[in-house]
Amino acid sequence: MRYEIRVDGHMSETLAKAFPELDHVVMSGQTVLFGPVVDDAHLYGLLARCQSLGLRVLEMRRVPE
Amino acid sequence: MVSAVSEPSAVSGPGSAGPGKARDVDPLGDPFLRTRLAVPARPTTFLRRDRLAGHLDQALGTPLTMVNGGAGAGKTVLVADWADRLERPVAWLTADASDQAPGVFWAYLLQALRACGVREAEQAGHPADPVSVDHTLLARLAAALNAREEPVIVVVDDYDRVSAPEITEQLGFVLQHAGPGMCLILVTRTEPLLPLHRYRAEGTLTEIREAELAFTCEEAATLLELHGLRLARDAARALVERTRGWAAGLRLSALAAQQSSDPENYLKEFEAGQSTIADFLLAEVLKRQPAATQDLLLRVSVLDRFCPDLANALAGRQDAGPILAGLHRANAFVEHLGHSWYRLHPLFSEILAAHLRVRLPGLEAELHRRAAAWLRSCGPLPETLAHGAAAGDWEFTARALVDDLAIGQFFTGPRTGVRTQPRSADLGELFSRMAPDAGGPEARLVRAARALTDHDVDRARTQLRHARQELDADRPRRVAARLSCALLEVLAAGLTGAPGRAEHAAQTVWELQQEIPPELLDRHPELAALLQTHLGSARLWAGRFDDARAALRTAAAGSGGASTAVPREESLSRLALMDYLDGWPGRAERGALAALTDAERFSLSEPAGPALGHLVLAAVAVDRDELDEAQTLLDRATAAQPEPPDPVAAAGLVIARARLQLARGQVKAALRTAESAVPAAVASPWAEGHTALVVSAAHLAEGAPETAAKVLRDAAEQGGACAVGAARAQLAAGNAEAALDLLADLPAAESSGPAVTVRAALVRAQAAARAGDEATARRLAAQALADARRERLRRPVLEAGPWLRRLLGADPLAGPYGHRNAAPRAPGAARTPGGEQPAPLVVEELSGREQDVLQRLALMLSTEEIAADLFVSVNTVKTHLKSVYRKLGVNRRGEAVRRARDLGLL
Repeated sequence: MRYEIRVDGHMSETLAKAFPELDHVVMSGQTVLFGPVVDDAHLYGLLARCQSLGLRVLEMRRVPE
Repeated sequence: MVSAVSEPSAVSGPGSAGPGKARDVDPLGDPFLRTRLAVPARPTTFLRRDRLAGHLDQALGTPLTMVNGGAGAGKTVLVADWADRLERPVAWLTADASDQAPGVFWAYLLQALRACGVREAEQAGHPADPVSVDHTLLARLAAALNAREEPVIVVVDDYDRVSAPEITEQLGFVLQHAGPGMCLILVTRTEPLLPLHRYRAEGTLTEIREAELAFTCEEAATLLELHGLRLARDAARALVERTRGWAAGLRLSALAAQQSSDPENYLKEFEAGQSTIADFLLAEVLKRQPAATQDLLLRVSVLDRFCPDLANALAGRQDAGPILAGLHRANAFVEHLGHSWYRLHPLFSEILAAHLRVRLPGLEAELHRRAAAWLRSCGPLPETLAHGAAAGDWEFTARALVDDLAIGQFFTGPRTGVRTQPRSADLGELFSRMAPDAGGPEARLVRAARALTDHDVDRARTQLRHARQELDADRPRRVAARLSCALLEVLAAGLTGAPGRAEHAAQTVWELQQEIPPELLDRHPELAALLQTHLGSARLWAGRFDDARAALRTAAAGSGGASTAVPREESLSRLALMDYLDGWPGRAERGALAALTDAERFSLSEPAGPALGHLVLAAVAVDRDELDEAQTLLDRATAAQPEPPDPVAAAGLVIARARLQLARGQVKAALRTAESAVPAAVASPWAEGHTALVVSAAHLAEGAPETAAKVLRDAAEQGGACAVGAARAQLAAGNAEAALDLLADLPAAESSGPAVTVRAALVRAQAAARAGDEATARRLAAQALADARRERLRRPVLEAGPWLRRLLGADPLAGPYGHRNAAPRAPGAARTPGGEQPAPLVVEELSGREQDVLQRLALMLSTEEIAADLFVSVNTVKTHLKSVYRKLGVNRRGEAVRRARDLGLL
């Protein structure tokens, strides 16, 4: 599964290191994290990680391989 | 991240936290962390917002309140401030990652209730097993709370950390059944899996959500004023828009602005930025700190909690105390937990951990190692182990465990075999990650202990042999390791039925104990309990019942705490087995029930050991000719563990099962069962004797008395039951004289209970009848029947055969008992009601509520009707019914009412 997670605001390079398994790109006031997601547990873990870092998730969607 | 705490002052009742008191330690045997039960302090710049406090007042009128919002939304401070001003006791619990185990969670919640003076928590008992909690404990708690005049207020903070769904389910159960007796307030980042829609529809939920927690412009302006910043109305509004009223965002921007040369302008620029708020603001605040402070903050991010000394150890400095105090005063990053313990605000700790990885790459493992080393000298063991494991230093971690004499917790803690999912609280789980090449004798001991919990004795003994060699080379040092090694050898010997090895190893343990500080031994009552239990079990296997009783009684009488619940239960059921083997079914039943009740009280999950207790009850049920009941008990005993790991329980299973099959008339099956071998190092006289007894009885049933007599020829020396069995076979084979000789040699009365003496008297009566002495025969038979009646022993009477009916049929004095039993029934047929009532046995008094239920049961009310009548739920009634049945020793309502009438309870 591949997902992309769109969060509000520009993430710093340092904070992006909290998602070492994902790539990220900053665009127009948002940061898009994207990459492979192993399973549901991983997916919910990513959401929890966003919450614990105070990130505001705007969109989360599965993208074709 | 793993949590780290604490010096003695941070845990409950220093000095008084004796190991014997279950109340002072959680199911893992660790003292309760006081910081988790305290209402958190507010920062100096806390702004009380009356609209929120007013809304929270509604919590007193609803059973459930949920305060939810993201990290740093100001949830905890709001509820803490409200709770402190309530002028009523509030039970506060801050959830923790270790609460994934329901037993630990409930132990903490009960401790929180006790800490605020809720007496009802005492009635509920103490969970002993970290992994699971017994349903009846929750039912007791809910019922006790339900009876309260005024509701108890319970706050669980950080509830999102509780991820195990069964805890939420259990909490929902207690909430529902406590009725108006409890107001539960959950402070959480995520919605719990409770049926919230139902609470909403019923109007029984108070909800404060993120939008309500957000700061308004006025509130933001006031908050900034507390930080010494004056903002124009427009600027305040812009700031609120940028941060969406997020409390942590406002706090951080105030801090960053305070430290800049032109605060107002700084805030304006921040408003215009596009970065993620927390990330940006934290970096801003962090970079304005002195280098030493930055370094310290990054390093402590691997800890959940820390004190200055621990922070110093991680940072290699001496001045963490003033730095932390300064940060706390400035309301930056750290929160004070009391007793000079701090924690990072959860939001910041995550971000700081990300910074740590970037700025000091590769240092994380080293920091864990340092934390583990510091904690080993003055912190609780689980934290030490968690950090040692996180550092990947297994030699250290194993040594920390063994040196603390905690190896026994592999057996008294959660059992890996029955675990449904991995738990952080589980020693087995923690060490399952241990590198296979981890060196040192302590690592070997850990491997041996894990092998023993898996019942892999061969692997355990290999590891123990190597460990002993390495330890012997290091004499006289490493006393704790040598003691642990000897203890594990006792356990291995118990599991293999090797009494000689068990005695030898136990002797070594006792010698080494002299060299261990007494206070360390006092902290681990489970060591002595495990030793005595397995030593007693090995002696029992060898047939040395008196020695076995001495050891098992010591273990059973030990401290009533949770840490010894497992060995205590195992000892009680072994004592019960010996009573059964000696022919005391009543005593055996009482003992087995005591073992099971104790196990239930401490929420031990089957088949931690209750298996043997159920086996004894099954065997007693066969003696009473309650064959369906016996089958149910046997199925229960073998449900989770078809083959008991230790020879004592395995032999008990063979005997109980073969006897049941024989009683049901399945002679061939009984013979096959009796032939199944129980692997053990040495032969057990009673196991052989009682197996031979079944085989002999089977041959008698098939009409082969000579074979029956031959089978028991050697076993007769085992005395008691075997001698009587041999006598019976001899008599059937026509050797009355040989039979009477065997009976004449019977040992003293004390060692042979009614199950033996009744059978002996019946054989004597039969011999007298054959010799034509009808008067003596009748006297003996009448006495035997009276004794049998007292113990409800039907099986010996049924076994005796048709001559008894002929004998007593001629006698008008014979009671209905003789008649009824003398008429042979089809094996396994249901008992007819009425007739002879067995002597009742009451183990426990009924509670008031159970009495209520019983009285309504007697009025033929249905469960639903009883529930409606008593204003409780159907489930509560079912819980009461179950314990009524258990206490009365019955299975059905009709039986319960009859038994209760007999006992004068109705």
